[in-house]
Amino acid sequence: MSRTAVIICPGRGTYNKPEHGYLQRHHAEKSELFERFDNLRKDADQPAITALDSEVPFSARSHTQGDVASPLIYAASFSDALNISDDIEIVGVTGNSMGWYIALAVAGALSATDGFRVVNTMGTLMQAQSIGGQLIYPFTGDNWVSDPAAKQAILDVVREIDARADHVLALSIDLGGMLVLAGDESGLSAFETQMPQVQGRYPMRLPNHSAFHTHLQEPIAALGREALSADMFTQPNIPMIDGRGAIWWPNSSDLSALYDYTFSHQVTEPYDFTKAIQTAAQEFAPDMFIITGPGNTLGGAVAQSLILAEWQGMRSKADFLKEQENDPILVSMGLDAQRALAES
Amino acid sequence: MDRVDIVHDNFLTRVAAGDFPDGTPPNDTLPADQAVSLFRSQCLSRALDRTSRKMQKQGQGFYTIGSSGHEGMAAVAHALRPTDPAFLHYRDAAFQIARAAQVPGQNMAWDMLLSFACSSDDPISGGRHKVLGSRDLMIPPQTSTIASHLPKAVGSAYAICAARRNPPEHQLYADDAIVMCSFGDASANHSTAQGAINTAGWTSIQNTPLPLLFVCEDNGIGISTKTPAGWIEMSMRHRPGIKYFQADGLDIYAAFAASKKAADYVRCHRKPAFLHLRTVRLYGHAGADVATSYLPKSEVEADEANDPLLHSARLLDQAGALKPANALAIYNDTCARTERVAAQVIKRPHLKTAADVKASLIPPARNCQPTNGPTPEARAAAFGSDARMLDQPQPMSKLINWALTDLMLEHGEICLMGEDVGRKGGVYGVTQKLQTRFGPDRVIDTLLDEQSILGLAIGMGQNGFVPMPEIQFLAYLHNAEDQLRGEAATLPFFSNGQFTNPMVLRIAGLGYQKGFGGHFHNDNSIAVLRDIPGVIIACPSNGTDAALMMREAVRLARVEQRVVVFLEPIALYPMRDLFEEKDGAFMGTYPSPDQSIPLGEVGIHGNGIDVAIVTYGNGCYLSRKAQAVLDGHDISSRVIDLRWLAPLPKDALLQAIKGCAHVLIVDECRGTGSQSEGLMALLAEAGVASFGRITADDTFIATGPAYAASLPSVGGIVDAVRALIGGAS
Repeated sequence: MSRTAVIICPGRGTYNKPEHGYLQRHHAEKSELFERFDNLRKDADQPAITALDSEVPFSARSHTQGDVASPLIYAASFSDALNISDDIEIVGVTGNSMGWYIALAVAGALSATDGFRVVNTMGTLMQAQSIGGQLIYPFTGDNWVSDPAAKQAILDVVREIDARADHVLALSIDLGGMLVLAGDESGLSAFETQMPQVQGRYPMRLPNHSAFHTHLQEPIAALGREALSADMFTQPNIPMIDGRGAIWWPNSSDLSALYDYTFSHQVTEPYDFTKAIQTAAQEFAPDMFIITGPGNTLGGAVAQSLILAEWQGMRSKADFLKEQENDPILVSMGLDAQRALAES
Repeated sequence: MDRVDIVHDNFLTRVAAGDFPDGTPPNDTLPADQAVSLFRSQCLSRALDRTSRKMQKQGQGFYTIGSSGHEGMAAVAHALRPTDPAFLHYRDAAFQIARAAQVPGQNMAWDMLLSFACSSDDPISGGRHKVLGSRDLMIPPQTSTIASHLPKAVGSAYAICAARRNPPEHQLYADDAIVMCSFGDASANHSTAQGAINTAGWTSIQNTPLPLLFVCEDNGIGISTKTPAGWIEMSMRHRPGIKYFQADGLDIYAAFAASKKAADYVRCHRKPAFLHLRTVRLYGHAGADVATSYLPKSEVEADEANDPLLHSARLLDQAGALKPANALAIYNDTCARTERVAAQVIKRPHLKTAADVKASLIPPARNCQPTNGPTPEARAAAFGSDARMLDQPQPMSKLINWALTDLMLEHGEICLMGEDVGRKGGVYGVTQKLQTRFGPDRVIDTLLDEQSILGLAIGMGQNGFVPMPEIQFLAYLHNAEDQLRGEAATLPFFSNGQFTNPMVLRIAGLGYQKGFGGHFHNDNSIAVLRDIPGVIIACPSNGTDAALMMREAVRLARVEQRVVVFLEPIALYPMRDLFEEKDGAFMGTYPSPDQSIPLGEVGIHGNGIDVAIVTYGNGCYLSRKAQAVLDGHDISSRVIDLRWLAPLPKDALLQAIKGCAHVLIVDECRGTGSQSEGLMALLAEAGVASFGRITADDTFIATGPAYAASLPSVGGIVDAVRALIGGAS
């Protein structure tokens, strides 16, 4: 194998109109796999993902719901991972938020079907409960240069709003140069009112998202533990990096702890995607980072995370673009132009 | 062929062939995933050793003392909690790596390679030294080469239990933690190690809680000198108060079981234990050391055949936890991964300037809760019958005692420790009544071992206390000086300010005691302290200043986390008179508790312009007497009391001598190595026109009538001033 790579699985919000038909376009040959997924959906009286991917016309309202987007993203991302070229040695797997569930399956800690079961169950539970929401706000400028003071200032505002009566607001995801915040309506609204609009679109609400990775999700975590058994977990074949930057190694993972993390801490505590990427870089030093599809919105956060760690000496967006030009360190399979760099 | 490559090839070929060294089968203490996790830590430790040598050859790494052969320490880490403070032997990379596996988000390959590369990104030392250490993993860094970390491990164990009884604001260690301290069989012979082990036993048999696990990694050799067969067991098995455990450190299952047993014993009983682990040393002592130059090749090969990684592969196979092929894959993947990471690490920045290096000499200040001080009732109760004397002139010993009383009343984290400081109240009565006022928990009578006193202070300082150890006589400091120089002063430096051990070390010293003690009780050299970077030396010359400076010293330790040496001139403790018998002019009244003398502020007596006499301690007392004599000779003078000997208050001093035609330095310490040398250099560099010095002779002080013969005297000062002025004219 000539190259090493860490695979990064995306989270919610990556299956949108441009991605409609993704499974059919890129993975038509995996009908047997999708049939297994669809059978699980059928058992739960849910529409088949193959239908949602192509036959059912795209609707922003329904296709971004947890019980629809989650399984579609899982199927797309997992399938992309299967397509990675044999001459690429996969040295680690990580993911963003829901991407953690996909990472579990890509690494082999969950079977393809059990991974789907987990994603579908958690997505459905979250959609059914719909507790709170999320918004996104950047702390770096257009140049992606690290600004820890700006980040701290935002977190101070979050803490201040959260301390108000009848307001809940917390850090949900550390996402490179951006912060995903989650809370109840009053918490989110207070932040939107208080903070200046930047880059023309932030603070940006994430439609159909709940207050993921906060204590508001404790009921979901409990229902998830009730619905999903620890027996599904097996030793991973590939090291996995979780949302704390912790590594779960093949043959040496405590499966009971892995189950607990996945359905407790991971659901109710902030997800540090930045740290996960930095661990991937610093502990595995891969030649490249491959973000599976669908979508390509995670590329910025990965690049920003690497810049924050000054990986390869990068300190700005310009540095990153220069690095990409020479020998891409970041490949997004959701971008047709880059897909070939990863696919066999 | 390099032994590193031989050991590597042995592992590859023997595991592939299933050719394992003999050994006992695995016990049932480790589940498969945990055993494989330990093996992974061992492999990373080994890969780091291999990579560090490659980095050094390429000029990109600067440390090659490895952990190969000691990888069984991973099992010890696994038996402990990551909140247990660990003072590690320098061969304990596997311990740190295995502990990191217990704390999510640790990047050990990256972090340890940064330290090999001495990159300023190194998270523990900031590129200052290759040390094991981590704030997240509660591993304070130190060099550990001469077992100088053992006394503070004893101190830390004591401090854990002291904090349970009297929690300090900045407590660092968990209440249920135990301290682990590891060292090699060779360094176990060091007097520092022996002293610490003795102190642990001495403490334990008195039922004072001391949750401390000594771990001796016995590889049978110290560089080229062999440890006599059975020596560690013979000397340690029957130590009073310390329970002995033993295991084969080549067997992770056995090492884990014994470590767990020992750790459980320590945690449950809060008593010290000694864990004796058999290890081997692979690759010789360090990169440049060729073991076959002093050992028969057969012995080197015998150790290599017992490579703990081979044993682990054997044990994992026998336990059904991991097939040899998978063990091989983990080993190879880890080596490849480490090399990839190293290729990135070498691009990280290094320290460049002296300012970069010095940046962590002085630790960061910390926030301390403001206090309103004691209530009048509490103060009255503490002072008792002394209260009615507070406004009357008193000698220095009494004023220091009262300053300590007020400080201890205000700050519950202050503790005193030393020989005779409690019941007796100090050899000179300076700490009288303090044990009655504050209890034996805060005024601790220690055993007669200065290294242990300082180790106790360091340990308590690390756990948030403000220790005020006392060294009974300056000459007694010397056998323990490294605890200050090599440990206390370096901790912020090596940890980039992440660990600190603030303290105010009181030392009774200097000369002029009439007919008592000779050199050993009248030592007049503090050269051993002057050059320690970051250490503050205070030396009051009268009782009022002593009280005021003591308050500043405590503030410096408590808030600014500094190590302060407070040098108290013994001869001035009882002094009452200054100019004439019974004039009482040397006594002072106790200053209000809200007053202090800030670091760097000098004292000035008189405003003469003919000569400035620059001095401190007893020299100040003598110079003020000389000042009166000089007045009679129509020579106007001012006496400048330095008060702070390190760092030298250069600006304040130069300001204070302004307008004086001549400057005479009066230094009661010896000509060689005394402060006068630095002062002469300072005055020369500042372009002062006329200056000179009078110092003690370069001799030890005699007992009896000649006690002051070699020291500066009033007459000598007067003569020196007149000579200086005459010479100049």
